[in-house]
Amino acid sequence: MPAILIVDDDRDIRTLLAAFLAANGYTAQTAQDGAEMQEKLSRTSFDLAILDRMLPGTDGLALCRQIRQSSTMPIIMLTARGEDEDRIAGLETGADDYVTKPFNPHELLARIRAILRRAGHSGAQTAPESLIRAYHFEGWNLSLERRELVNPEGVMVDLSTGEYDLLVAFLESPNRILSRDHLLEAARSQPEAIFDRAIDVQVSRLRKKIEPGEASPPLIRTVRGAGYLFVPKVTRL
Amino acid sequence: MLLMLIGVGIVHVASLYAYQHALNREMGLANETRLADRLLTIRRSVMRVVPGERESVAHEVSGGPVEAHWSATEHARSGGPGMALWEGLRQRLVVTSGDLLDEDIVIGANRKSEADPHFVLVSLRLPDQSWVNITLFAPEAKPQTGHGTVLSTTLMALGVLLVSMLVIRWMTTPLQRFAHAARTLYHGTDRAEVPETGPREFRDVARAFNEMQGRIRQLIATRVQTLAAVSHDLKTPLTRMRLRAETLTDRAAATGLIRDIEDMERMLEQTLTHLRGDRKDEEMRTLDLAALLTTLVNEAIDRGARATIIAGSSAILDGRPLALKRAFGNLIDNAVKYGGDVTVAIADTGSEIRTEIADTGPGIPEARLEEMLQPFTRLDPSRNPDLGGFGLGLSIAKEIMEGHGGRIALSNRPGGGLLVLAVLPKHASAQR
Repeated sequence: MPAILIVDDDRDIRTLLAAFLAANGYTAQTAQDGAEMQEKLSRTSFDLAILDRMLPGTDGLALCRQIRQSSTMPIIMLTARGEDEDRIAGLETGADDYVTKPFNPHELLARIRAILRRAGHSGAQTAPESLIRAYHFEGWNLSLERRELVNPEGVMVDLSTGEYDLLVAFLESPNRILSRDHLLEAARSQPEAIFDRAIDVQVSRLRKKIEPGEASPPLIRTVRGAGYLFVPKVTRL
Repeated sequence: MLLMLIGVGIVHVASLYAYQHALNREMGLANETRLADRLLTIRRSVMRVVPGERESVAHEVSGGPVEAHWSATEHARSGGPGMALWEGLRQRLVVTSGDLLDEDIVIGANRKSEADPHFVLVSLRLPDQSWVNITLFAPEAKPQTGHGTVLSTTLMALGVLLVSMLVIRWMTTPLQRFAHAARTLYHGTDRAEVPETGPREFRDVARAFNEMQGRIRQLIATRVQTLAAVSHDLKTPLTRMRLRAETLTDRAAATGLIRDIEDMERMLEQTLTHLRGDRKDEEMRTLDLAALLTTLVNEAIDRGARATIIAGSSAILDGRPLALKRAFGNLIDNAVKYGGDVTVAIADTGSEIRTEIADTGPGIPEARLEEMLQPFTRLDPSRNPDLGGFGLGLSIAKEIMEGHGGRIALSNRPGGGLLVLAVLPKHASAQR
């Protein structure tokens, strides 16, 4: 059972969230501030931390930086402010994801799952997978810090959450056949259940946005009966 | 600017005319005085000596355009052409001499010869009833106004005009800066300070204006901070409620509760967005509006809406991505909520991107179309209490479009339904 540490100054949110995560297959511990967080971290090893952005004393961003100095443990920031610069500041500090209060608990759950899967996929503590800032392919650039896709002409191309998750899954494993199940799991950060057929829809939507047109060879190849394969060479930045 | 120029021009011409007039008058007067003095000097010189020597003295004091003779009778006969001109001289002689009366002065042609317009004879009576006759070379009847004067005054006028144009520019530039600063006051966080330069009065006004601007910004900042604080404080209990809803065993009750929480959350977000206005501090990016609208339409489809998008391969413009996503998100949500089938069409006109969002709903009464773009305006809230929202979606969209130098217009479609047209300039440089 993956262990999660929740750091929030609101007692009710701490206990309610811990109970919700426990009900969904995680062991959860709580801390009300930076000092308690350090104490818990020193005694137990956690798979993931959820940090409130606004804490009395040392704030969430500073705590995130403290953790990053010694560990690549995945971090999700919680904030009451939905400001974009806040989100970017959080991600640039080294947080893996950012959730705005009040959040849908199921969405938080989906994001926890996606991040843990990604961390497990790369061998968590050894490979600095979570320190990848961007992917580069065929002149395109996908920034993980800003969650932004920019085409070879420097134009920002908007992606839905599902399309973004899907593209990240492809970029993590280029030139490998990815099954629908694998992609389904990857695109799960959306709370609504996505069934098999929906993956095809998502892939076709993503294709419309990143593939240059009929004339050029496709970036994403359909492998009949097996799944999809991302063709271009991918550079990690 | 033009008005001031015309004004200055009129004043200039008028003053030039007045000046010229006074100058002419002054010059005439000066000549008259000088001539009178000369004549009286001749008369005194002749008067001082015994009658035997008078003619020779008169001869001695002659010279230049003046030739004097002494005789027992006056040689001049009064009257003749142009004599009115000499009336001034006569009066001057009377006043200056002190002992000459009107009848002691005869001005006119020589009675012994034909009248010659080039000569005039002035006879002045001496106390012993003899006369001094002085022939003057008469100047032209009219004082000469040479082309030189006209040319030089015109040049002067042009010079004055040029200088006044510069001065006017110098004076109106600060005014234009005021206008610009006042217009951009609400947009953006970078202060549009009016430089405190120019004439002293302008510096005073500029300082006062900047202070006022500072106070207004302070006021807005305080208001936004207060609301941000309130909203933060509301979000914590909402988060608790949302988590508590998960613990309820009555799923029907939980679903209703969750929907209420989400409504409240959306209202908080909308209010905050509205208060912030179009966030100019979000970075300007080159982005593909077609991709952005495709995402929004697909999301609407995934939520069960009937929506279609008609777009070329791309529609590239400079804009603030999150703001535009919010604006178009509001427009598409509205269309889905009230309108049945939704069609989003994008067209690139070369300098602008035009987006039409059409629905098949009941539309909006013509008289209320404009009003719907105002904040907190809802179309008959009593009829559709389930639809939620509180009339900020359209006004937020309008603010964001205008913040991009674009515009938004509502109209009813001929076949029924509402048509929202949003026009955005493609380049940031086209924005004010």
